[in-house]
Order: sequence, then C-alpha cells, then structure tokens
Amino acid sequence: MRFFQNANYDFLKYRKHWAVVSTLLSLLGLAVVVFHKGLNVGIDFAGGTQVVAQFRQPPTADDLRKSLAQAGLGDATIQGYGTENPDQFMIRTRLQGNKEEGQEQEIIGALDRIYNPGQQSPVDLNKAGAEGIGAMLFEADPLQLKAADITAARDAYGEIAQGILGVRRNVGVIRDWQQLSSAKGMTPEVLQALKQRSYVGSYAVLSREVVGPTVGAELRQRGILAVVMSMLAMLVYIWIRFELRFGVGAVIALTHDVLVTLGLYALFGFEFNLTTIAAFLTLVGYSVNDSVVVFDRVREMLRKSRRVPFEKLLNDSVNMTLSRTILTASSVFLACLALLFLGGEVLRGFSFVMTVGVIVGTYSSVFVAASFALMWENMVQRRRDRQAPAAARAAEGKPRDAKPREDKGAGERKAAAAGRRR
Amino acid sequence: MNKSLLWRGILILVVTILMAVAFWPPKEKIKLGLDLRGGIHLVLRVKVEDALRSERDKVAERLSQEAQSSGGPGQPALQSQPLSPTSFAVTVPAGARQKILDVATAEFAEWQPDAQGNRITFRLKEEERRRLADLAVNQALQTIDNRINAFGVAEPLIQRQGLGGDRIVVQLPGVDDPERVKRLLKSTAFLEFRIVEGGPAASSAELLASYNGTLPPNLELLEGSVKDEVSGKAIGTQFYVVQKTARVTGRDLKNARPGLGQFNDPIVEFTFTHEGGQRFGELTSANVGKGLAIVLDHRVVSAPRIETRITDQGIIRGQFTQEEVEDLSTVLRTGALPAGIETLEERTVGPSLGQDSIRDGVRAGVVGAVLVVLMMVVVYHLSGINAIAALALNVLIIFGGLAYFGATLTLPGIAGVVLTMGMAVDANVLIFERIREELRAGRTPRTSIEEGFKRAFASVIDTHMTTLIAALFLFQFGTGPVRGFAVTLMIGLSASLFTAVFVSHWLFDLELSLRKRVESISIG
Repeated sequence: MRFFQNANYDFLKYRKHWAVVSTLLSLLGLAVVVFHKGLNVGIDFAGGTQVVAQFRQPPTADDLRKSLAQAGLGDATIQGYGTENPDQFMIRTRLQGNKEEGQEQEIIGALDRIYNPGQQSPVDLNKAGAEGIGAMLFEADPLQLKAADITAARDAYGEIAQGILGVRRNVGVIRDWQQLSSAKGMTPEVLQALKQRSYVGSYAVLSREVVGPTVGAELRQRGILAVVMSMLAMLVYIWIRFELRFGVGAVIALTHDVLVTLGLYALFGFEFNLTTIAAFLTLVGYSVNDSVVVFDRVREMLRKSRRVPFEKLLNDSVNMTLSRTILTASSVFLACLALLFLGGEVLRGFSFVMTVGVIVGTYSSVFVAASFALMWENMVQRRRDRQAPAAARAAEGKPRDAKPREDKGAGERKAAAAGRRR
Repeated sequence: MNKSLLWRGILILVVTILMAVAFWPPKEKIKLGLDLRGGIHLVLRVKVEDALRSERDKVAERLSQEAQSSGGPGQPALQSQPLSPTSFAVTVPAGARQKILDVATAEFAEWQPDAQGNRITFRLKEEERRRLADLAVNQALQTIDNRINAFGVAEPLIQRQGLGGDRIVVQLPGVDDPERVKRLLKSTAFLEFRIVEGGPAASSAELLASYNGTLPPNLELLEGSVKDEVSGKAIGTQFYVVQKTARVTGRDLKNARPGLGQFNDPIVEFTFTHEGGQRFGELTSANVGKGLAIVLDHRVVSAPRIETRITDQGIIRGQFTQEEVEDLSTVLRTGALPAGIETLEERTVGPSLGQDSIRDGVRAGVVGAVLVVLMMVVVYHLSGINAIAALALNVLIIFGGLAYFGATLTLPGIAGVVLTMGMAVDANVLIFERIREELRAGRTPRTSIEEGFKRAFASVIDTHMTTLIAALFLFQFGTGPVRGFAVTLMIGLSASLFTAVFVSHWLFDLELSLRKRVESISIG
C-alpha cells in the first residue's frame, strides 16, 4: 500500500496562515492552562496525600465525598479510578500547612468510621499486612503449635498469613469469610480464630502516596528544568547538525506541540504528575524527529543543487518525506492508542499526551516547522539585503551573492557532499 | 553465500542467543519495580539538628561543670542559653571570664568562643558540624539497615540519597504495611530504666501537689498509657514522677527477643551486657520495693515493683500484642537512633494493584504490537515481515538488556517498550520509503536496497539522537518509575539502531543472495 507517492502539495504557500493558526492554537492551549481550567496538578508536584481504595459495595463518588466531608475531610478530591473498575476510588488531600507528614491516617480513619463502623478488633483482613496477621494468629495459636516449637509455630502462621494475602492479591478486596476458606493452609480452626480476632473490612487500600512540601518543591523544580533543558538541547543539537534556521523552525514547532497538547491535557482534566513529564519529554524527542527528517532531506537537496529557491526546496522536502511522516505517525499512534485504552489508569495521562502529541506533532512538522524555518530565512535575508549595499561598497564591488548562504561548516559539508556523489 | 553475509549472520545469531540467555527465564531475570510487584518506597530525613542539639547541651553542661570545679567552692553554676542547634551563650561572672575561655579552648576546641563583655557565645565550627551531621546520618543508616534485616524483607534497598545529604531512601519490595514499617524505622528506641518516686496517678496536678507544685531538680514527670486489659488498646494516660538520671539504658542491653509471660502473654525478654548487668544489680538492690520505670522514648512503658536484686536479665511486660513485642525486641536489639527521623515521601503500592498494572501493561503491549505488525505487513508486504523480525529482536534486546544491566522494569517502562515498538519501525519506514524512491527512479532492486540504507542512514541517526537526548534528560530528572521508563527507552533506541539498520539490511541481503535472479522485491 502506498501513500502520497508523488505528493506535490504547496504547503508553504499559505505559510503565513499556518503561522497564525498555529500561534493561535498555542496561545489557546496556554490560555486553557492559565485562565480556564488550570492543570490538575497531582501530589508529585503539589505535595499531599493520595489513597486509592477498592470497595466491596462501591458508593457513588458523591456519597463518598459527602461522607468524607462529614468526617472532616471536606477539601478532599475524589475521583473514580479506572473505567473498568467502578469500585475503585482515588482520594486526594492537599498539604496541610507546611507539615511533611501526610494525612493518610486521617483518610483511612475517616473511611473506617464511615464504612467499618463499630469494629472492635484492630486487625482488618483487607488492610493488615502479612506480618500483622501472622503475629495475630501466633498469639491466638488455633492449631496448638506453640507448645511444640515456638519458631516453627511462628513460621507456620506466617505462611497462612501469606495465603490470606494471596487471596487479597487476586481479588483486590476480600468479600466474605467464604473467600478466605480457599486460602493456602486454611483450616476451620484458623478461620474460627480469624473470625474471633479480626474482621473483613468493607474496603481495601490499594495504594497510598504521600509527598511532603520539600520533595514536592524539588520535583517541581526538576520537572520544569528537565523540559526546558531538553528543548534547549534539541535546539543546540539541530544547530550543530544542521543550521540555526532549522533549529528555530524545529523548536517553534516543538513549543507549539507542547502547548497545544498541554492545553488539551488540562481541558480533559488528567492528573499532571511525574509520568506526565516523562510523556512530554518523549513528545519533545518525537516531535523533533519529524522536523529533523524533513531537514535532513533539505540538506541533501541543498548538496545536489544550490540554484533551486529555498522555498521550493523546503516544500519538495516536506512532500518527499510525507509518506514517511504519515506512516511513522500511524505506527506510533497505534501503539499509543493501545496504551490509552488498555494500559490502565496509571498510564492514562501518559498515553493521552503521546496519542494527542503524535497528531499535533505530525501537523506541526508538515505545516509549522518548515514554514517558520522559511520565514526566519526570509527575515535574515531581508536584513542582509538591507546591510549588503553598504557592505558591498566597502568591499569594493565584490558580488553580493558570493557570501554563502550557510554560515557554519559550509566547506566541510560541501566536501562531504562531493565525496558522496559518484 | 558470501563471507560477509555469513559473518553478519553469525553476529546476529550470537546477539540473539546472548539476549535470550540473559532474559530467560523472565520471572527470575527481570527485576520488577515497586509499582509492579508492590512494596514501600520511603524517603526519610535524619533530623541531624537533633543530634547537634544534644551535642550542644552536653558541651554546655560539661562547660558549666568545668567552670564550677575550676572556680573553687562557692562558684555558682553557669547558666547557658541555647541560641541555635549549633550555638549557645553563657553569661559569666566578671572575674571568671578568662578562666572559662581557657577551659573552653583546652577542652572544647571544636567550639568557637566569641566573648562580648560578660557574655560568651560558643559556635560549633562548620567542619565539625559537618562531621557530626555525617556521623548521625551514617549511624541512622546502620540502625535502619539492622532493623530492616531483623524484619526479614527480601532484597531491600537502604541507602543515602546523594552525597553528604541527610536523606535515606528505603525500598521494601513486597511489604504492604507502611504504618508498621514507619513505626519500626522511626522509633528512636531510646530505652531507660529509672526509679519511680511517685505515681502512677491519673493527673499530673495530683502528683505535683505532694511536691508543693514544683518538682525538685533531680526528678521528672513522665507520661504512660493505661491499656485495656483485654484488647491491649490504650484507653487513657497516667503520670509518674521518676528520677531524672538513668544509670542503665538501652546501650547496656546485649540482646532482646520476644517471649511468652507466665499467662502466655507476649513479653520482651532481654539480657544485659556484663557491665550493664553490674550497674543494674546496684540499682535494683538499692531500690528494692520501689517501682522501676521502663521508659521508651520518654514514655513509661511499664513500672513493675522491684522485688529483688536483678543482675543479668529481665523482661518487659506491658499488655503488648505479639506484633508490638516483636517490633520492640527488634528496635531494642538494633539500638537507638542518634536523631529523630521524618518522612519526606512515601509511596506504597499494594500487590493487587501491581498485578493489575502488569496485566494492563502486557495487554496494551500485545495489542500495540499486533497493530504495528499488521500495519507493516499491509503497507510493505513481505518487506514488512523483515521489519517485524527486526522488531521482534528489538523487543528481545530490550528485555535482555534490562536483565543484563540489572535495570528495573516499571509500569512506565512497559509503556516505553510499547512506544519503542512504534518508534523502532520509524527507522524501517525511513529506509523502506527510500528504497521505494530508488525503485521508482528506475534502479534495480539490489542498488535500491543499497542506496536506500545508505541514504536514510543520516536521518535514522538524527531521529535516534534526538529521542536519546530527551531520554537522557528524563533519566537525569526522573526517580523510580520514570527512570525505569528512560532506561527502557534508551536500551530500546540503541537496539533499534542495530536491528533496523544492521539486521534488516542483512535480511534483505540474505533474501537477495538466495534468489538467482532479482527482478523485483516485495515492498508494497
């Protein structure tokens, strides 16, 4: 199957329109972040506490919010966690003052008051760790093992505790005692002791995270630094490998991609966290790729012929690489699509950035990068033309065109080109 | 078959085998991140200012004693005033100034005195401050390490974060009881045995009343919990008046372990070192009939009556649960922390969430791979198969590389693999499009393939470099899961250079050499 085999579209003809449209889109993206919705900044950067819980009988998000507000956690953010798991919720609270300690105890305490009221035993089989359950069984000693050998008894009850956790690992939240009878090493005596000394709570804690103000501020700083530094590094790389005019085009395209994607990200309300930064950095790398392929072609064409106007050269190069651009975008897009729909909740934001970024990046590499490279070139050329008459007079009639268009390493590249030409 | 073809084939075979060996069996060879296998990640900060403060108080106290003893009878004790964790001031009588300065220079050279009138300010020298801070962090690290070893976690990671910092990173795979771990790690476990002079009583006022409202300087008021007889839960607070100095502390313990009391209740049994035992013997024989407060981190755990002289061993009973007894033995055995510890960051992933993540990641990976493979075959027909072979080897190298470098596979890392599959075919696409162009220009398949690979090479290098730069920044910036993503991406990119350029080229050459006459190739 072939696409755009002899493509010959005039992408650069309307470059000013594209420039305006792209600038507007970027500003719109920025505006969404700044004025409209703001970013849904997660605890990685804002600091705070986040608990993910799975419920046996899931409440609605509204019920959960109301109950938590009554328990004194009115500022908590509550979100359904994952589309396939309507019984999972994420509860997030902001930093309390400048304290390093998190609020996970408060959240879990409130959940216990609401969903496990009146439980006397300290051991909840849906929350306790293996060590705790093992110690409790050892204390109860339902199998009468302690008399024979204390160490062996401790090990044996530890094994049973692991079995109970194995059940929890598979089902997420243990529903009833019935489910536990299938646990490894379970006997009626043990089950009896469990019923006496512990209870099966109505929810399980799947994960809990606390980021204090110190670490939050550090991660924020490093995140911004990483994105800015990597964009600068791209500019420098392209500058060294190609020329400044390409670098400018590529970095403008890049900024456009990041801003538009960021705007959409904010609009959809995904949580902005460490993984999101990872996604944006990957997007930066990918987006430059697209521009680089076009510029590689331009450079090759430049070697072949110096007489073709720069505009045509650029436009031809975009056309010649168009099939590659579309095919690569499609393959990355397909991979990202799989991640977006099947990769689970943790990767949702990441996949969204990449999926949207691929589309935006493809548009920008075709319409934005080359357009801006050409506009930059024209601007430089006009300035040179204005200065040139004076320079020409000073140089006593040397022809203006003698000055090479490339100002860096031109000789070296010409030599390389000559070497390749058979 | 020509020679170069053979050698290249052998090289590819060797790489394939090496990677397969490195990675097989995957369950043992691939190290899963905490986000996939579940576990606890903690960033702790040692409050070095605690250690500095206690050093400051010790020095101020000793300075005061020195001044008193050198000043002859009638010399009043110096009053010192703490200014910061590393400085304090004393006000000295007019005549004693020089003498105290002399004592200070002789005995406390690490402290820089600064005299203004009758007030002398002492400041800990920076070099010494750094040494003390470093010592405190290293001691804390050692203690935490011991406690975790006693806890019995497989493959824990305990290390200082950065150089000379006050942070310690703890990673405990497979542990999902963060409250208990934090309790265990953060308990300073400063154990003291003190003689009870009054109490217990339900309120502090009640006790103070018998001392006319103020305690003599050698006594101190401490709190303890009242526990429910049956459940062991704390149901209230009670107060004790105890002696301020503790002649026997946790440092005098040789060993501590959980045991069972006479009513089968959980207790901690401990033994003293030889020297500690002697002092404990003196203490107990002098105070028979009084209460002995067992004080942990400035709270009274229990206060049994001293029945007789005890020398070498004892028990702590305090209506503990089995879990508490085990943890208390551990912290007593591993010693006290030199300073308090606070949590800066805590991430716990339960095992069920990790398992879900693996399932989701693998599912997305398989579907993503199938989609990319389908696209390549539809677009490039048989040459697509060539690209797929290269892609398969690429994925094998990623996992082999992860195993070989001992790198950790995280959930974003799985996303990195999926993404690399999408991006790795980019190199193939660049080359194949170029071959098509050459074919269109009327060249023979053989020349087209040679030219296609040669001409696309610069672009392939450039595209890989830019993504690699992004991955490097990501590695530099990221922690944990994100770093795992960066590593996967970097291995994937390097692998893709090899597979898309070298392996794929070899496959084309192999095909050409197997066919007698090459009039066309299947490239869609």
